Amino acid sequence: MEYESVIGLEIHVELNCATKMFCDCPNRPGDEPNQNTCPICLWFPGAIPKFSREALEKASMVCLGLNCQIQERSAFDQKVYYYPDLPKGFQLSQAHRPLARNGWLDITGQDGKTKKLRIHHIHMEEDVAKLVHETEGRTPISLVDFNRAGAPLVEIVTEPDMRSPYDAMEFIRALRTQIRYVGSSDCSMESGTMRVDANISIRPKGTDQMNTKVEVKNMNSIRHLGDAITYEIQRQIACLQGGEPIVLHTRLWDPEKKVTTAMRGKFSGPCVPDPAVAQILVSQAWLNEMQARLPEMPAQKADRFIRQFGLTREEAVMMSAERDLSEYVEAVINHGIKPKTATHWLATQFLPALRERRQTIVDTTVKPDRFAGLLSMLERDEINANAAREVLNQLFERDDSPAELVEKAGVRQISDASALEGLIEKVLVANVSAVADFRNGVSKAMGFLIGQAMQASGGKANPKLIREILTKKLGA
Amino acid sequence: MPSDIFSYREPSPSSRGKDGALSGMKMALQPNMSVRGWPTEAGSMALRRFVALENATVVERLKEAGAILVGSTRMSELGFGLAGDLTASAVSEGHADCALITDTMGESLVAASIAGLWALKPTYGIISRLGLIGLVPSMECYGAVAMKPQDIAPVMKVIAGRDENDFSMPDLAIPDFRLDGKKGNTIKTIAVLKECLDLLSDDEAALFRSGLSRLEQAGFSLQEESMEEFGLFRTVHQVVGSVEASSSAGKYDGVRYGHRASAAKNWNEMYLKSRAESFGMPVKAYLFQGAYFQFENFDAFEDACRIRARLVKAMDDLFTRVDAIAIPTRRKKHPAEKALSVTQVYDAFLLTLAASVTGLPALQVPGVMSDGDFDSGLQLVGRRLSDPHLLSAGARLRR
Ligand SMILES: [Zn+2]
Repeated sequence: MEYESVIGLEIHVELNCATKMFCDCPNRPGDEPNQNTCPICLWFPGAIPKFSREALEKASMVCLGLNCQIQERSAFDQKVYYYPDLPKGFQLSQAHRPLARNGWLDITGQDGKTKKLRIHHIHMEEDVAKLVHETEGRTPISLVDFNRAGAPLVEIVTEPDMRSPYDAMEFIRALRTQIRYVGSSDCSMESGTMRVDANISIRPKGTDQMNTKVEVKNMNSIRHLGDAITYEIQRQIACLQGGEPIVLHTRLWDPEKKVTTAMRGKFSGPCVPDPAVAQILVSQAWLNEMQARLPEMPAQKADRFIRQFGLTREEAVMMSAERDLSEYVEAVINHGIKPKTATHWLATQFLPALRERRQTIVDTTVKPDRFAGLLSMLERDEINANAAREVLNQLFERDDSPAELVEKAGVRQISDASALEGLIEKVLVANVSAVADFRNGVSKAMGFLIGQAMQASGGKANPKLIREILTKKLGA
Repeated sequence: MPSDIFSYREPSPSSRGKDGALSGMKMALQPNMSVRGWPTEAGSMALRRFVALENATVVERLKEAGAILVGSTRMSELGFGLAGDLTASAVSEGHADCALITDTMGESLVAASIAGLWALKPTYGIISRLGLIGLVPSMECYGAVAMKPQDIAPVMKVIAGRDENDFSMPDLAIPDFRLDGKKGNTIKTIAVLKECLDLLSDDEAALFRSGLSRLEQAGFSLQEESMEEFGLFRTVHQVVGSVEASSSAGKYDGVRYGHRASAAKNWNEMYLKSRAESFGMPVKAYLFQGAYFQFENFDAFEDACRIRARLVKAMDDLFTRVDAIAIPTRRKKHPAEKALSVTQVYDAFLLTLAASVTGLPALQVPGVMSDGDFDSGLQLVGRRLSDPHLLSAGARLRR
């Protein structure tokens, strides 16, 4: 029998707010343990949560970026369970009245067609503390770091619309792009600001039955997500073929062994409306204000890049995938650089150079004006491509302007025909046989002669001009 | 013996100035109201040796107004019921002019009634709860107990008002507690509920009727009214209250403060043992009841929330026809100070639950419903935010 998989995702995204969700503590989980704590996030007696407006705004921007409908009324519930990472016996989460419902994202399916994947709802919740288990030493101990307790999160729950690991990976990429665009999180699975759990079930291909699902957790990259789902599908098929029923449970992905293993059932308690956190009522005016904050999103931006700059779809999609990159390329183009030049140089030279130096577009010293300065010298034939690559490297190391660096390196291109004529004359005299070859129809001899002339100029000659002069002199 | 009344006495009680609204007024608190540096055990092992880190907003305001905080009194565990609570005695024995009592089911009213004092349980939400360690966030508030209503109004005026750090406060216009006699003369018609009379035993009813004649003599007009659902306040209070208590008490795990059991094999056992050793009766039973509704019968909890909304509406409807409702404060055969089980506690507070469930203000007036031997207290429940009007009606009644 042929099977197909049914996959839904639950995605936790940590919002990059300045403070925690219910107190004024800095939202910096990575600081010295238990530095960012107060009576509220430690849930000392008498404390009352103060819901953060910024958390609501950043969460709402996520909802709008994922095409969800923000609900007029939402509220927090207490998710009751006892665990050392939870200092008050319940987690504040929106179980009954989520912030937003009914969203969607488009992906390009494996067949190349656009596929719409639906989002069931998005709710806000607070993160829990971090547990550190020290098992070595005479007495094993568990330490609790409350820096993360109360950090603002949103949980995005999709419909089970995905049919393959590919769909799930593409969905997460699209979701990451959207959320980064609205500026609410960097959505890094590697650093833990995005955690993705997958609910997977299988069924005979072509049927619409919904079978028992298995939840898989602990994937810390998009690739691991794909690997874990692939493994789990195979495992479930093997189970069915071996006559073993699928049971509802949670499994952990082991990235080393590349398998999923069953984890002990976590006790899940009830969800009681919280009497201390006020309900959230959203007015149309506030919603309009949030809508107005929404930046141009990647799909629209790619369309505009095609229209306005004449990029191909592939170039436009690539240049708009990250908001920082899209703003960078647009700034370079606004400095008068041809869109094709800007796109090409960004993709093939600038981004690899950034990666090599472990810098990002935001923190690099090579701001759009400096990069554009370099490219405009290239476009005006003041330097050639080789020199441009060399100066680009120096731009990262020094603060000088591109023009100053070109001067210092002495790589300004010789585009003065009279200066080149004498040099070419010498090359012709020194390479009589190549000249003869060319005249006898060996066309690649031209390339050789251009190379010789470039070398004689110390790499500074304008290759186009050399070709012109040579062609004229050889009477081709 | 004063040391029996107080669990902590401020060694050098003083006033922060001479011209504050409460300068020179001696106030007693309960040890679940946070005063920086004071032991704050809330009558529970769960908070053993806990010392408040910050002042409650109410405490901050009292100090600012020049009140002299003399100490905190013995109280029932986490303020549930009145067994072991001696707060009202601090006033009746002259240690304080006014005392604050955590009121979740009418504790301030009943305690005052027992001691022959006045008490106001204010409209829910006009006083910040920040720093109040309670069990039932949607009902608990600070009730004020004093010898005379004139000592309650200035305290309420100081402690009521918005607190930017208590986000749970509803957006209410705070009533003006400076009402003089004439302006405050708004309560004229007082309802007597048929269903309330039905709850009373014969001698309770007789005492109540005799007291009602005092109301008429004082110029109030009585009006018979009916509220079919009056009998539901108890069930709703118990279901909602126990569920909220169960989750509020979730934070008492012995990890960050309070009592921690020794010799547990793992953290789970540490929780179980610590919590088992931390709570006494009847709180422990109450938490179990709440956990039952949370885990096993959530539908009942949701029903109770719906009925609660209906009860609020029924009371609001009633207040379109009358200005206040008269109810006895306490019951002779069900002494609150001896109530040691959840059932006994609810029996004792049966008559004060309506104001707690609906968040309405209620005033306890001594000396009206008395046969010389037993004073049940007269409870006047008023419209939302009518707190000062209740105080002036009470004063008129006793003039
Ligand atoms: Zn905090």
